Amino acid sequence: MSLLLRNAEVLFNDPVSVGLYHMGLRCPEIAARIQPGQFLMVRVLETLDPLLRRPFAVHRVYSNDPPTSFEILYRVVGRGTRILAEVLPRTSLSLLGPLGSGFRPPDQDGFMLMIAGGIGIAPLPFLAETLVESGLRGPYVLWFGGKSAGDLVCVEHFQNLGFAVELATEDGSAGRKGLVTQHLEKWMSRQAERPTMVYSCGPHPMQRQVAELVRQLGVKSQLSMEALMACGVGTCLSCSLRCRPPDRGQDLYYANVCQEGPVLLGEDIVWE
Amino acid sequence: MHNDESITLAVDLGPLRLKNPVMVASGTFGYGQEYATLVPPERLGAVVVKGISLEPRAGNPPPRIWETCGGMLNSIGLQNVGLRNFLQEKLPWLRPLPVPVVVNLFGNTVEEYGELAAKLNGQDGVNALEINISCPNVKAGGMVFGSDPRMVFRVVSAVRSRTSLPVITKLTPNVTDITITARAAEDAGTDILSLINTVSGMAVDVRNRRPRLANVIGGLSGPAIKPIALRMVWQVVQVAKVPVIGLGGIMTTEDALEFLIVGASAIQVGTANFVNPLVTLEIIAGLETYLRAQGFADIKEVIGTLELSERAAGTF
Ligand SMILES: Cc1cc2nc3c(=O)[nH]c(=O)nc-3n(C[C@H](O)[C@H](O)[C@H](O)COP(=O)(O)OP(=O)(O)OC[C@H]3O[C@@H](n4cnc5c(N)ncnc54)[C@H](O)[C@@H]3O)c2cc1C
Ligand SMILES: Cc1cc2nc3c(=O)[nH]c(=O)nc-3n(C[C@H](O)[C@H](O)[C@H](O)COP(=O)(O)O)c2cc1C
Ligand code: FES
Repeated sequence: MSLLLRNAEVLFNDPVSVGLYHMGLRCPEIAARIQPGQFLMVRVLETLDPLLRRPFAVHRVYSNDPPTSFEILYRVVGRGTRILAEVLPRTSLSLLGPLGSGFRPPDQDGFMLMIAGGIGIAPLPFLAETLVESGLRGPYVLWFGGKSAGDLVCVEHFQNLGFAVELATEDGSAGRKGLVTQHLEKWMSRQAERPTMVYSCGPHPMQRQVAELVRQLGVKSQLSMEALMACGVGTCLSCSLRCRPPDRGQDLYYANVCQEGPVLLGEDIVWE
Repeated sequence: MHNDESITLAVDLGPLRLKNPVMVASGTFGYGQEYATLVPPERLGAVVVKGISLEPRAGNPPPRIWETCGGMLNSIGLQNVGLRNFLQEKLPWLRPLPVPVVVNLFGNTVEEYGELAAKLNGQDGVNALEINISCPNVKAGGMVFGSDPRMVFRVVSAVRSRTSLPVITKLTPNVTDITITARAAEDAGTDILSLINTVSGMAVDVRNRRPRLANVIGGLSGPAIKPIALRMVWQVVQVAKVPVIGLGGIMTTEDALEFLIVGASAIQVGTANFVNPLVTLEIIAGLETYLRAQGFADIKEVIGTLELSERAAGTF
């Protein structure tokens, strides 16, 4: 698969909630090729500081035929994202992508469970739309947790796609109070059916608990993981995550999250 | 106006001839294939692959990098596929390239360096060796080979005596006087010197008072280290008899020219590949534009032409 380095035009860059922005980008070649769960390395500023590109998932691809533009959803957490939030429409941004291996469809139709923690929601709408459009009938459920109500964006979009949405917030301002993972286990035990596939994206501790839960249930899972990245294409070996080696042996093995991931099978990750 | 034919970028590095002076630095361009659709490796002066060792290495635990002001710290821990996988899986793709392929290598002991050199000697598709001496000597309590001139001499001798390929010794900047280790490598028979490797550094997360890198200490690269690298290249070219490859923080044509002007015969681009994968091609084009604009026909007219006033002592 060939790598693209393109200047995309910023179509809009607006806050959707406190500290959360969505940015529309026009780049027909990337829009036509990118798959759910894949990401882009974005150069937020053409100067030497901040130096490195920043990784972002694609949130939605606009379904023109063929698609020409897409959207990223991001949280302002540090220097790079602060600069990104100041970018004006019509600016051109350098993108490298599509990168990594994304979400795969389930082996068969059935109960599809998506789990998102905070900004972990970012790649899921694109996945949800793709699965629904491919004719898989579900049922579909999204479990979505955040610190407070403001984090729980694009819920309606999932509902429109036919998802049942369950919410949780740490401060109790929306949905159940507490962490998603605190409620998930009990909720699962009440479901008649087991998920065909669990798709999850969120902070590392959440992902770890999701992996543990699906292991107990004997369910398959695909987890989108984060790592610090310099190149995004597999040359620098900085984005390592401890995983089972490809030969399934016992050797110490680090996967490149940018290539083998960001979406990895829950069972392949070694939690430490 | 000159046409392309009238401008020559070719340089000679002792036994190694490059069609242009722009190489990629080890560890920043994988095994050549990763960026190939953006940067056809045949357009580069040479390709230097990720450092390899006799056995595969898993590398350090994460986090392995941290971005700093105009640079990045890394402690990859020399992760690599090992010699056997390199020869079986990576070399066949590199072999047909019409430009030199340089294999960067390292060992845990002097003997391992020698053994690796012997096993790479005569491998079709390997055109030169670059010795990474910026790694710990397991038999000397983990002291870095490259910081001790006697160890530099022994490592380079071990490689030199086991190969007929051109040998490049890559110097570490983490020394008091880099001309001493440069001379040690020369005395041991290196054909070429390359410098610099990363500058030792660290960073701390004040919220939890933990080091940013799991390995605590890492190597700084990128534009932040360029002045250090340039100064060291300048010092080395004044004492070295062999050609020098300059690197450290090169992001633009102008950066590359600074190294060439102080006396480097070629340059390598590292961290900049991550930021702008097309940077090497842009520098190659930029050098041509510069030569044309300055009325030169040959890049060799620029190399080592730093203009000094008579009073400049060149010391600090
Ligand atoms: C595959 C992938 C997809 C991502 N998708 C999204 C997304 O869709 N929306 C979104 O808001 N965020 C996403 N992130 C996280 C996002 O990359 C970081 O929040 C961002 O890089 C922070 O940059 P900064 O300069 O603002 O923060 P700083 O903390 O100042 O950044 C310092 C350094 O750490 C890196 N870094 C900091 N936090 C993270 C993190 N969580 N993950 C990886 N690198 C980090 C930065 O890239 C930079 O190199 C994704 C991360 C990965 C690995
Ligand atoms: C992620 C990373 C990996 C590296 N791996 C190697 C390596 O395997 N062998 C080596 O000799 N140098 C290695 N280096 C050092 C570079 O080749 C180069 O000397 C250094 O980064 C300075 O150049 P730059 O500022 O242009 O990056 C590595 C550097 C980085 C950033
Ligand atoms: S980010 Fe460079 S190898 Fe993954």
